[in-house]
Amino acid sequence: MKNTIKVERAKKNWTQADLATHIGISRQGLNSIETGKFIPSTVLALRMAKVFNTTVEVLFQLDDLEE
Amino acid sequence: MPATWLLTGQRFSQPVSVLIAVVPIITFAIFIVKFINDFSVLDEVKQRVQLEAVVIGFALTAMLLMLLFLLGLCDISNPDLFGYGQLAGYCWGFYFIGWLISKKKYGV
Repeated sequence: MKNTIKVERAKKNWTQADLATHIGISRQGLNSIETGKFIPSTVLALRMAKVFNTTVEVLFQLDDLEE
Repeated sequence: MPATWLLTGQRFSQPVSVLIAVVPIITFAIFIVKFINDFSVLDEVKQRVQLEAVVIGFALTAMLLMLLFLLGLCDISNPDLFGYGQLAGYCWGFYFIGWLISKKKYGV
């Protein structure tokens, strides 16, 4: 699973801690999601998309192997 | 620990001994309830870490028990190293091993 969280964060000029606070998880947890180690739940993905004013499909994409 | 010390080092009547043995279990039950309540307020990454730690800990404990059972059938046993008390310790040890593995896996 690929994601564009880092790009979206950069657009808003947010640190990982800022985003983590907005979506209600720990900074380490967000780092784990951003680096692709942890796949978030649908609720968390939707919450993340909402704070970035975008869609889940923009934030998360399947890898070639997963398609 | 204090209960173990009291029960092994002191001489009490059986009802008092049973009471000393049961008190830690009550406190442990309270701990479990608190642990479960705290688990529900963790974020989902930390929940996953705890869940995997418990799964790994349980699996390793089950494996050890199975091994000890099978060795017992061969008349090989060592109560000093693998008594009930020691098994409780190993169980916690396995949980922490699982916790460390899971923490490393998710980088939390």
